Amino acid sequence: MKTKFALVLIALGSAAFLRAAEPAKPACCAAGSTPAKETVKKSCCAEEQSTAPLSTRSLYQLEATWTNDAGQPVQLAVLRGRPVVLAMFFANCEYACPIIVDDMKRLGASLPKDVLEKAQFVLVSFDTARDTPAALKAYRERMNLGDAWTLLCGDAANVQELAMLLGVKFKQDARGQFSHSNLITVLNSEGEIAHQRAGLMGDVSEAAKAVVLAAK
Amino acid sequence: MNLVTRHFAAAALTLCACAALGRATEARERMVLIPAGSYAPILRGKDELERVPVAAFWLDAQPVTNAEFLAFVRAEPKWQRSRVSPLFADSGYLGDWSGDLEPGPHAPADSPVVCVSWFAARAFAKWAGKRLPTTAEWERAAAGGFTSADGASEPGFPEAVLGWFARPTPAVLPAAGSGRPNFFGARDLLDLVWEWVDDFNTAMVTGESRGDTGLDRTLFCGAGAAGARDLTNYPAFMRAGLRSSLRANYAVPNLGFRCVQSP
Repeated sequence: MKTKFALVLIALGSAAFLRAAEPAKPACCAAGSTPAKETVKKSCCAEEQSTAPLSTRSLYQLEATWTNDAGQPVQLAVLRGRPVVLAMFFANCEYACPIIVDDMKRLGASLPKDVLEKAQFVLVSFDTARDTPAALKAYRERMNLGDAWTLLCGDAANVQELAMLLGVKFKQDARGQFSHSNLITVLNSEGEIAHQRAGLMGDVSEAAKAVVLAAK
Repeated sequence: MNLVTRHFAAAALTLCACAALGRATEARERMVLIPAGSYAPILRGKDELERVPVAAFWLDAQPVTNAEFLAFVRAEPKWQRSRVSPLFADSGYLGDWSGDLEPGPHAPADSPVVCVSWFAARAFAKWAGKRLPTTAEWERAAAGGFTSADGASEPGFPEAVLGWFARPTPAVLPAAGSGRPNFFGARDLLDLVWEWVDDFNTAMVTGESRGDTGLDRTLFCGAGAAGARDLTNYPAFMRAGLRSSLRANYAVPNLGFRCVQSP
């Protein structure tokens, strides 16, 4: 994308200089990373949680506390140790989000049984006003989402931070609906981004491969 | 309690009340008030307003400098170049500095700080008791000309702005605040460095918009400029293009920032 923008700059004959920044190289020093904190009483993966320091690329460094559809506080770090398939969405979405959820279900259905048993599916809402735990619970029922699914809402700053880390763009329009990236992210067991799949419908096999790898 | 004691008590209270508030109050002197108004997006989705109302706010009169950013990384060491998490800043972060606490010859104290990620800019703003401007706020402030609130219709102003695009960025950036102030008293908005905005990720005019967003496909499919408000506002297109190309951990050599406060 950066390259594309640089090309546009050149094409437009602009002399204003913009050097695309190189991709970050892995760093060794985990400044500020703390061991995962358990906030959910009945965690899905307590027995698998590692206490080793998180990598500097782990999203589980985030201190944000979310609320799930049962009204319990959740930090993303409770998912540590499992492959995670995550998307941002909003429950009132009339078009793309039900397709994203369907894509995630198809992805799940394509996984080998032992991987599927480990995998967690996470939906995080953009809609800080309307997507209360009760609204998310209703969405869970309406979309027939099983126990492997976690539905989260949070405050606007946390939503913005997570969207920025995932590279998700979103914008609320005058009707209160959101335009947003259609992006499914696979996190490995350490909470690092292992794969991202943009778009709707279509092939999910690459994402499924990433989940299988992440489960190892 | 006599008057002197009371003054002393008040002073002590102020001192320990909140360091950020102190910094913010001190900084307010170098901020300009942008009165309530509106912002006309250059590109607009089908359900978006033609003019977005913008409440009054205080804007830094100039971009944040290397000296100011140095004070921040001293106070918050996790934002120093060698310590920052790659999640929050890529390897170009403060790449023009000589060291963690030495801006050095390529980053003079009074020049705008660049090579900072959105996360770092946002952390600086929080530390300073401020925040990053929204796209609407930034564009509202930058719409001012030299002598009127509407630069686009001011003779000579659009040409002066275009002049920046014709000049290569110098190896060492000039001091912040050296540009001519605009109608609101803000300097360097359009002629020194690009600037982060808090919600840059709302800019969805990308090549991928047909595939990865919920936008009306007919709106952007090969017709990005067809719905544009003002086809002659080339700098606004450039800013929209830049914002849509960024990710929050990018550190770019001529992208800096400034902060705002609500009244």
